[in-house]
Amino acid sequence: MNPLLQIRDLQTWFPIHRGVISRTVGNVRAVDGVSLDIYPNETLGLVGESGCGKSTLARTVALLEKPRAGTMHFSGQVLSQAQPGIRRKIQMIFQDPYSSLNPRMTVLEILTEGLVQHRRIKSSGRVTAAREILADVGMDPDVLYRYPHEFSGGQRQRISIGRALSLKPELLICDEAVSALDVSVQAQVINLLLSIRRKHGLSYLFISHDLGVVRHMADRVAVMYLGQIVEEGPADKIMDAPAHPYTQALISAIPRIGAEKGKRIVLQGDVPSPAAPPPGCRFHPRCPYAQDICRREQPELKGYEGGDSDRKAACFFAGRVG
Amino acid sequence: MEEKANILDIRDLSVSFRTDEGLVQAADRVSFSIRRGETLGLVGESGCGKSVTAMSILRLIPSPPGRIDSGEILFRGQDLLKLPIEELRRVRGKSISMIFQEPMTALSPLQRIGRQMVEALQLHSRISRREAWQIGTEWLRRVGMPNPEEQMWAWPHNLSGGMRQRVLIAMALMLEPALIIADEPTTALDVTIQAQIFDLMRRMKKENESLLLITHDMAVIWEMCDRVAVMYASEIVETGTVEQVFRNPLHPYTRALMAAIPSASSKGRELYHIKGQVPPGINYPAGCRFRERCPIAIERCGMEHPMLDPYGDQCARCFRAGEKGVAL
Ligand SMILES: Nc1ncnc2c1ncn2[C@@H]1O[C@H](COP(=O)(O)OP(=O)(O)OP(=O)(O)O)[C@@H](O)[C@H]1O
Ligand SMILES: Nc1ncnc2c1ncn2[C@@H]1O[C@H](COP(=O)(O)OP(=O)(O)OP(=O)(O)O)[C@@H](O)[C@H]1O
Ligand code: SF4
Ligand SMILES: [Mg+2]
Ligand SMILES: [Mg+2]
Repeated sequence: MNPLLQIRDLQTWFPIHRGVISRTVGNVRAVDGVSLDIYPNETLGLVGESGCGKSTLARTVALLEKPRAGTMHFSGQVLSQAQPGIRRKIQMIFQDPYSSLNPRMTVLEILTEGLVQHRRIKSSGRVTAAREILADVGMDPDVLYRYPHEFSGGQRQRISIGRALSLKPELLICDEAVSALDVSVQAQVINLLLSIRRKHGLSYLFISHDLGVVRHMADRVAVMYLGQIVEEGPADKIMDAPAHPYTQALISAIPRIGAEKGKRIVLQGDVPSPAAPPPGCRFHPRCPYAQDICRREQPELKGYEGGDSDRKAACFFAGRVG
Repeated sequence: MEEKANILDIRDLSVSFRTDEGLVQAADRVSFSIRRGETLGLVGESGCGKSVTAMSILRLIPSPPGRIDSGEILFRGQDLLKLPIEELRRVRGKSISMIFQEPMTALSPLQRIGRQMVEALQLHSRISRREAWQIGTEWLRRVGMPNPEEQMWAWPHNLSGGMRQRVLIAMALMLEPALIIADEPTTALDVTIQAQIFDLMRRMKKENESLLLITHDMAVIWEMCDRVAVMYASEIVETGTVEQVFRNPLHPYTRALMAAIPSASSKGRELYHIKGQVPPGINYPAGCRFRERCPIAIERCGMEHPMLDPYGDQCARCFRAGEKGVAL
């Protein structure tokens, strides 16, 4: 099967400015050589430490940031700002449903703004379209003339999902979309996202720091560290038997109900800066297994000895440590 | 015997807020205690009154619009609600320290991190500036701050949210108080950093420090706490040891909370969710406050208000808590 989204060697950097004349003194290498595929009707989970570049990667795919290098293809077509036709097919929902919804717009306006803009409906068809969307996200169709502040967090997240769905996207990017919600509300939104996927056959790029939620949602998982993907493979396999030392630390750090308490890998060493990533393997200063080769050479993301064919890791000792 | 002594006893604490819509009952006759060296977890839905309860302990409820209407907060047997304000100031920081949910408000924007740490340390113990600077740096390192020496010179606005949170955790722990109140201390942090901080807190507990840990993450409760108190609509609805409550939750709200958590075995399946919404704190219904959402409600639940009754060492506020074989 051909991937829906194909990313190769993607880099998105942010210049660091200093001084009165705003000289560029360096770059934050937020995304620094990422290659990824997302297949039709697939959910790819993206996990990793705060600041490792997940949102920047997502925003680059959604064409909200400009990459400095690399290629992106969507259904075989080049994905770039110059292709507004494809742009609509990638929609994004964010963590904070409040700040991402315009407080002065009614639900009707929020849900149909994009449709009207993309000339997909006449303004006379707005009410019908909006009611359909509301039914789709499990909300009462009679709330059309209400404003965002009149809703709870979970309801607001439903409205953002509805707005994203209104343009019939093929890829929905969820950046911490359920993270701010209470467990019981979170369960509802997760159920909604799963049922939407079944009904419309979408693909998701699902970003979350909650690995339990990622496991529940994702078919495959990509683990990001300091701007790069360090491990990739089927969600269950990665969660049950992580191959990369960073993934091992990450998974052992997650509190789990029923697990033995206080048994975990506690990483030592400082979190390095994405403006000056360490040479060799970027994880080596914190890695409990680092050898000389790790300090000198950069490991590639690829299959490894003894690993299943659907798994990849960027570590010289992948699958042999931990 | 000394081990068993309670360091904190909260009895019938009620707090309300005056708002445009009316009087909000934010904490309603809340009672619980924490023993020496014990970690108590406080969980519950957003808005159920966890932060209000925590802030009441050090009398940090903004007033107006808030008011502590009644209750006792006994710390080592002394009622903090009756303490003169100068004495309460001595308790704050030195004996009880608090990590707030909103870190932005807790640091002064006008002073560098190092200066704020040194001042807090010197306020409570007689050490030199240099010593204090060193202790501060060391604590920043312990909470996983990259480049702690350099960060001592940073301004709060130069730090990311997660870094500011780590500064506050360091400041709360460095005074080695007898009781730490931590309100969602690691929610904004990575799991790897969270693990590091929990590790630190666990080690401090060995020194007999007590911890009140507020979180919405049931797995964190499992991992960190000895006992747990579950709050719903401004009341405690269940208490018990973590093992008891997770193995055999008695209140249907606690059971629903557990069922809503995704796990390895829930993959792809529909998660349980609680229908409906928490009733507004302005006008709680007369009967059980969970009744509208409760799958096992009976007639009595709409008429009478259930008490927090003991069942063995566990307590639950539900008329059906004692029955065997009730599904959810
Ligand atoms: N607009 C920007 N200008 C400059 N630096 C930026 C910008 N956006 C992100 N960065 C930097 O790029 C790096 C990656 O940030 P990003 O937001 O992608 O991380 P993340 O993995 O989404 O983190 P989190 O889990 O905290 O959301 C960080 O060091 C961040 O400070
Ligand atoms: N300053 C205030 N003015 C008015 N009402 C307030 C104020 N502070 C808290 N409340 C109300 O008191 C109730 C309890 O709030 P509290 O902050 O304790 O909730 P919480 O359990 O900590 O929630 P969360 O998980 O979202 O932090 C809420 O209904 C809230 O609206
Ligand atoms: S390559 Fe070396 S340093 Fe990198 S993660 Fe593997 S063992 Fe550690
Ligand atoms: Mg992000
Ligand atoms: Mg709170």
